Amino acid sequence: MTTTKTFTYSHTIGFLAATGRGFTNPVDLAINSQGILYVLNRAGPETPIRLPSKRVSMCTLDEEFLGDFGTGGTGDGQFWWPSSIAIDSEDRVYVSDEGLQRVTIFSRDGECLGKWGEKGSGDGQLEYPSSLAFDADDNLYMTDSGNHRVQKFTRDGEFIESWGQRGSASGQFDAPWGLALNGVGDVYISDWGNDRIQRYDNSGRLIEEFDALPGSDALHRPAGLTVDNEGNIYVADWGNERVKVLAPDGSLLASLRGESVDSKWAADYFDANLEEGRLRAEADLTPVVEPPGRRDREMSANVESLFWGPTAVKLDGQGHLYVADSIRHRLQIYNTNG
Amino acid sequence: MADSGLGLIAHLLRRAGFGATLQELEEYQAKGYEATVEELLHPENVPEWNDDLVRRYHTDQNSVMYFESAQSYWMYKMINSKRPLEEKIALFWHGLFATAYGKLNHAKGVLNQTDTFRRNGLGSFHSILMDLSKDPAMIFWLDNKDNHKDAPNENYGRELLELFSMGIGNYTEDDVKNCARAFTGWTIANQDYMSVRASRDSIWPSGRIDWQFQYRPEDHDETEKTFLGRTGNFNGEDIIDIIAMRPATSWFIAGKLYNYFVSDTPNEAATAFLAEKYRKSSGDIRSMLRALFLSDYFKSEDVWYDRVKSPAELVVGTARLAGSFQTPRWDITNLANDANFMGQEILNPPTVEGWHTGTEWVDTGTLVERVNSAALVIGDTTQPGVQAMIQYLKDRQDTYQPDELVDACLLLAGSLQVSEGTRERLVEYAANWGEISFTPEDAAPCSEQRVVELLQLVLATREYQMA
Repeated sequence: MTTTKTFTYSHTIGFLAATGRGFTNPVDLAINSQGILYVLNRAGPETPIRLPSKRVSMCTLDEEFLGDFGTGGTGDGQFWWPSSIAIDSEDRVYVSDEGLQRVTIFSRDGECLGKWGEKGSGDGQLEYPSSLAFDADDNLYMTDSGNHRVQKFTRDGEFIESWGQRGSASGQFDAPWGLALNGVGDVYISDWGNDRIQRYDNSGRLIEEFDALPGSDALHRPAGLTVDNEGNIYVADWGNERVKVLAPDGSLLASLRGESVDSKWAADYFDANLEEGRLRAEADLTPVVEPPGRRDREMSANVESLFWGPTAVKLDGQGHLYVADSIRHRLQIYNTNG
Repeated sequence: MADSGLGLIAHLLRRAGFGATLQELEEYQAKGYEATVEELLHPENVPEWNDDLVRRYHTDQNSVMYFESAQSYWMYKMINSKRPLEEKIALFWHGLFATAYGKLNHAKGVLNQTDTFRRNGLGSFHSILMDLSKDPAMIFWLDNKDNHKDAPNENYGRELLELFSMGIGNYTEDDVKNCARAFTGWTIANQDYMSVRASRDSIWPSGRIDWQFQYRPEDHDETEKTFLGRTGNFNGEDIIDIIAMRPATSWFIAGKLYNYFVSDTPNEAATAFLAEKYRKSSGDIRSMLRALFLSDYFKSEDVWYDRVKSPAELVVGTARLAGSFQTPRWDITNLANDANFMGQEILNPPTVEGWHTGTEWVDTGTLVERVNSAALVIGDTTQPGVQAMIQYLKDRQDTYQPDELVDACLLLAGSLQVSEGTRERLVEYAANWGEISFTPEDAAPCSEQRVVELLQLVLATREYQMA
């Protein structure tokens, strides 16, 4: 099957802000039925001054800021190592927390509705719940990364089933990260430590693995992923500081490196701070550098437009690809032709 | 008492590393002392610590934008690296070329400087000074970005001679001025924007970008300069050529290495020995350390436990012993804070002179911090290193008399050889329990707790607090 897809950078949402309008290490996002973006800010370290930066920000694709909710802490509705965000059929918002080993449920307006989960390795217990995704029946799938498995729950947290164990053989996982479902309920997993993607049916039977991208295109520590209705796989190739798009047969369709320019929120700031804006305009933000090691990572540290620590990718069904560019405190948006 | 061969290996690992577990010591001993020295001197032959897990779970340590993140990241690296001398030499140069976050407000910048020390910290002193002079954090720290052709700034030139290479009394004020002129034009890219950035974060909408060295020939003083008796149109490289060849530099570096790796008490003969090695090897640090570690100046039991561990050494060494922080834990910031409270904020030394070491690490306040911090870490029986120590005791025998238990715990604490008086006090303490037994099964928890209590006491001894 031949699929021709194109990806064109559209714009950037967000800029660094410890609280309020802006993001701090956005690691995941979800889109509700009204098109509102819920952006999960992990922030850190876990010191008192940084805790308020841990929050969920709400905004729109055209960069209207709608507010935020949550804060750092261990109480109800608070976050420690928030990792993933998902929305059910009634627009309730679910946030997993790798520090508190739980899932917290919020209304669409950010009211805390409840929580479930406890630390452990037994059925239904959690050890670093990294990624969440709902199926069409509002069952919640989760990568339980510290237990190297996938777990399936009702949206109220009742355990349904799990599969997987630590290892590198087929059907095994090493600290799995991203998780997504396609239209028929197949489950795609970023098997982070094994540098591959695995696809299962909804009862946990392994269908196929994608780990054979050749040479420099090979995945390295893949993070969040999603699947479109043609079966193409979009993955945040965290270790390579890229976003990769794979065709249903696993071949590489695109490799994106990021090309961000300032968001509206950033532009607003410089409109109000002209001297700083002048200095920024005069600076070379895309220097030619040859870092001595860890080339992709250090390039991202030097060249502002590139992805740095991409952790999640999402589609909205309207031809937009969203990339959580976690270290750069922003979402980079691409237009796709499908 | 510990076996003397193992004791020597333990001494080496306390100095060229952060101490070692009994299992590690036995593995090194099986290789032999000289082979261990060689392995330590060639960290490039040992796999680098994989930081993926830490960067995944500590998102802030992937960017190290904040000071606490940078400190914590280095803590993880010192605890988990299988290249102990690489980290130890980075800490040495960090202390000597003391560059502080407080002025830079750029955590990754100062952390990147330590990467320079890892890459080349065992290389030639000439190349180390070249790296240092081009290091953006140093350029910012000592104002070389403000060192212009028409308006020289002497800060870096002065400290290069006084604190980084030869020491006061080996140059004149004119040498300082001309040294500074030779380094005009050595700056950082995007200097104006970077300078604003140091005081305000909000103008960086996408977080920070790395600093880069930039040479601006139009801002370099191309006129003739006289430096340490030689005259020419010197640039920074020429100055470093001259400095690196000076006998004063050989003595300066020899003294610093001796103090860091051997003893808080200066030794003129040993320093002369090391200075000669500097001159014969063109300032090759690896050659100097090889000669040092194989010498009687280093091996002599007279210098065992003759250095007060720095807070970083103490905290990291105890975490390594306990097997703590092998996987990401949010409270790594607390561990870094422990060292801060003991008087050593890594990546943020108090002045360009670095930290005052030796007995100055210890006062009534910091001693309590040192003992409490070590006791807290080794007292956590969930930690794999602590569990391994208990298992070692169980595997060896079912019951322990007080003196047997003390000797075993000293061995497990890194083949520690304490004074006879200290050992007697430890045995007296253990004698309160009488014989301890790991059988029957229901006796084990109580005995395990006593082992941990004794280990906490061992870590409070003078010998453990020293290196």
